[in-house]
Amino acid sequence: MKSFLTYLFSTVLVIFSNGQLKEDSLFSQSLDNVVVTATRTPRLMGNVAIPVSVINAKTLYQSGSLRLNDILSEQTGINIVDNFGKGVQVQGLSAEYTLILVDGEPLIGRTGGVLDLSRISVRNIRKIEIVKGPSSSLYGSEAMGGVINIITDGSGINKSDLGLRYGRFNTLDGSFNFSRKIKKTDVTASVNYNRSAGYSLKPNQQQKTVEPFWKTVQQLSVNHQLSQKWKLGTGFRRNVTFIDNTIEVSNQGIAVLSKGFERNDEFNLTPYLQYKGNKIKTTLRSYITGFESEQLLSVKGSADTYNDRFDQLFSRIENQTDWQIREQSAFTFGAGHIEEKVASNRYDSLATKRKNAISYFFAQHEELLTRKLTAIGGFRFDANKAYASVWSPKMALQFKPNEKLSINFSYGRGFKAPDFRQLYLNFTNLAAGAYSVFGSEVAEAELQRLSALQQIDQVTGIMGGLAALKPEVSGGLNLGAKLKLKDGLQIGANLFRNDITNMIVTDIVAFKKNGGQIYSYFNLKSALTQGLELDLDKRISRTFTLKAGYQYLYTADKDVLTQIRKGEVFQRELSTGSSVRMKTADYAGLPLRSKHSANLKLSYETATGFFVTTRIFYRGRWGTFDQDGNGIINRSDEFAKSFLLVNASAGLNIRKHWKLMAGLDNLLNYKDVLNLPGTPGRVGYIDLQFNF
Amino acid sequence: MKTRSIIGSVLAAVVIFQSCTKEETAVAQVTLIEKIVKDIPADTIVSLSPIGQPIGAGKFTFYSLETNAVIPNTDSNSTKWDIGLRGSTIITNGGSSGPGKGGAFVYVGTFDELVKVPADSTFRIDAAPNYAISSKGWSLYTPQTNLLTPLPGRVLVFKTASGKYAKVEILNYYKGGVTPAATAPDNVKIFSQRYFTFKFAYQADGTTNFK
Repeated sequence: MKSFLTYLFSTVLVIFSNGQLKEDSLFSQSLDNVVVTATRTPRLMGNVAIPVSVINAKTLYQSGSLRLNDILSEQTGINIVDNFGKGVQVQGLSAEYTLILVDGEPLIGRTGGVLDLSRISVRNIRKIEIVKGPSSSLYGSEAMGGVINIITDGSGINKSDLGLRYGRFNTLDGSFNFSRKIKKTDVTASVNYNRSAGYSLKPNQQQKTVEPFWKTVQQLSVNHQLSQKWKLGTGFRRNVTFIDNTIEVSNQGIAVLSKGFERNDEFNLTPYLQYKGNKIKTTLRSYITGFESEQLLSVKGSADTYNDRFDQLFSRIENQTDWQIREQSAFTFGAGHIEEKVASNRYDSLATKRKNAISYFFAQHEELLTRKLTAIGGFRFDANKAYASVWSPKMALQFKPNEKLSINFSYGRGFKAPDFRQLYLNFTNLAAGAYSVFGSEVAEAELQRLSALQQIDQVTGIMGGLAALKPEVSGGLNLGAKLKLKDGLQIGANLFRNDITNMIVTDIVAFKKNGGQIYSYFNLKSALTQGLELDLDKRISRTFTLKAGYQYLYTADKDVLTQIRKGEVFQRELSTGSSVRMKTADYAGLPLRSKHSANLKLSYETATGFFVTTRIFYRGRWGTFDQDGNGIINRSDEFAKSFLLVNASAGLNIRKHWKLMAGLDNLLNYKDVLNLPGTPGRVGYIDLQFNF
Repeated sequence: MKTRSIIGSVLAAVVIFQSCTKEETAVAQVTLIEKIVKDIPADTIVSLSPIGQPIGAGKFTFYSLETNAVIPNTDSNSTKWDIGLRGSTIITNGGSSGPGKGGAFVYVGTFDELVKVPADSTFRIDAAPNYAISSKGWSLYTPQTNLLTPLPGRVLVFKTASGKYAKVEILNYYKGGVTPAATAPDNVKIFSQRYFTFKFAYQADGTTNFK
């Protein structure tokens, strides 16, 4: 058994000596320097023509991350936005446009389009691959801003560990990971338990900013080599989150308390059968995943209860075939079928199951045109019942004039299918202005029903536009270069631009007689995000490494830009309260986007495994809420303040099997009660791991 | 209630200054009055309904742009007032609302840009429940934040009870002229609403000029 450290060290050596690797063949079987997400086939990291980055197990461990949002927030060009859970923002696209995969399979269970990353423990993750820009040509819906693939599979590695960690707010995390090759069978098992007492950022309130919770993950995967060419396997994972909720609502100045819980229960099952010959590899896999979310609240001192339930089931069958036509030419194709079912009392009743079915096929060809030039072309077609079908093409080029430099160019189209909420939501809020939101598929019937009840006052002009929703579509361009210099210096730059059309937004369709508005969903908006990402990696000495990253981001609602150019948009000056016509320079783009963000990481590590890391993050100001009535972000009081976060951790190996680590996140104790509920101030922790 | 003149009425000030220094030429009588009026209560919240909806007394606050003063409710059926405010409802002294010659429309542009009522303008007349000025014409209510914000770039052009012209820009709808933060508690938002801060110019000479 190779010791874990030697393994990691050799990985680092491989990465740093990448320039010397001769890898003309498109098929490659190495481990950590290989990425699978960008092309759905294993490829050497340096041979991928698409912006991709990898977080390896060592980085994960040394950063002291517990949940997926912790580690992603440390990456260049990724922002974590706290809204319906911790969502990810990639290349300026919000959480609903980023696909999250676990071992290549999509996670479901989004709230308001956001997949809460804190659901996912990183303690059993071997590596994380991040592909930026659209990848719908391979993955279908949601892969617009990027794809984040979490790889937990430990096949081929004999490595197990037992970990325990304790930190501020009574946070306890216990994990057990087991990975063993027994004859022809690889078994990976892991268990994680995580709990916290939560915390309050606002004093004198019974409702905490983060309520006490516990989360568990159980995972088992078995891969068996039937013969030299045939392989069979299955994975099972279950993820449970339980939150002890106390919700405080103010009524006539009196705080009304509701107590209850929120429970999210997710499972998935991934059986597959694989044939791998000399030139052909074909995999038949099935994926079944379910997400059940329940919220129950009872009002204190009354019989009133609030119950919210959301059940989702997603099943898929897919075949993917990789055919190596020649040494320099590879072809991948596949097809699949998805069945989705949702039942929720947010829509109708739990008894009504809303269904959707998608059939798709995809193909990709990769060719080493010359020793210096690689080209990839591919597409995917998604057909379904509930909304218009989509083509998602993609092409990419990689040019390597010499061993130091590589230049990548890619263009792809991404899409996001209208989700169940946008199609079937049936929601009326009695407390805040009695407004209603109806999904596009149910809006017409609901309006007719209310109209028959004489509750409709006025129907807006947009009513004529009530039509079947189309998928949101984006076109993404990436132009990047990577330069490797002899003295352990690597510099990367990537220019990106995403043009999104048919964006789904809510708009008012009618006014009720009681003054409330009725909203529905429309394909109305067009937006753009563009920017520059810079990365620097420098090995200062045998023990010191420095990493730095920066992202410049410009975003805009295209219709708003047009209106501003025409002089049709006004803003109210903060000093005088008077209105003036806006200039494009006054417009700060889409909310929740920072123009500037940067990070700096300094690590010290000896050959014996002692390490110290310091990570500094800067996030420039970002727009929050409109305050001057023009509906856009422009005035100085419409921003959250920029901030600096400093995290530090240190650890050492004790004897052969033990690892001890301690860390302090948010050293500067930065807090922003309103805009950063997920940042509770300084958090210290201690972590012990036993490896065997 | 506080009223204060603003430096905006520079013209008037210059005239006064000039008359004090005994300029030889008599300057024409200045008839344009420009003011900022703060914190005019407009049916402020007195209680909440059992489901938490705010309730006011249901009465309009009447205002005279000509005399720059609040007019008592007892004079509601007179031509002493020009505009009435109740929540986000604004009425004019005319049509179904009063005995005057009032009417109004919403001009899209800035207060200073509107130097003269455009010749092709149509003054709408109140016909309850459809008023000359609809609340959606000058304000934006955001249910997600539960806040009402006057739309920037909207000038309310009024014909007063006596048929003179005035322009009004609503600056704020909350007490003290400051909209609560989007994240402020609902109670703060509810009880500080329905206080108008507005800027107006009243042309006493009967012309449509605001310069």
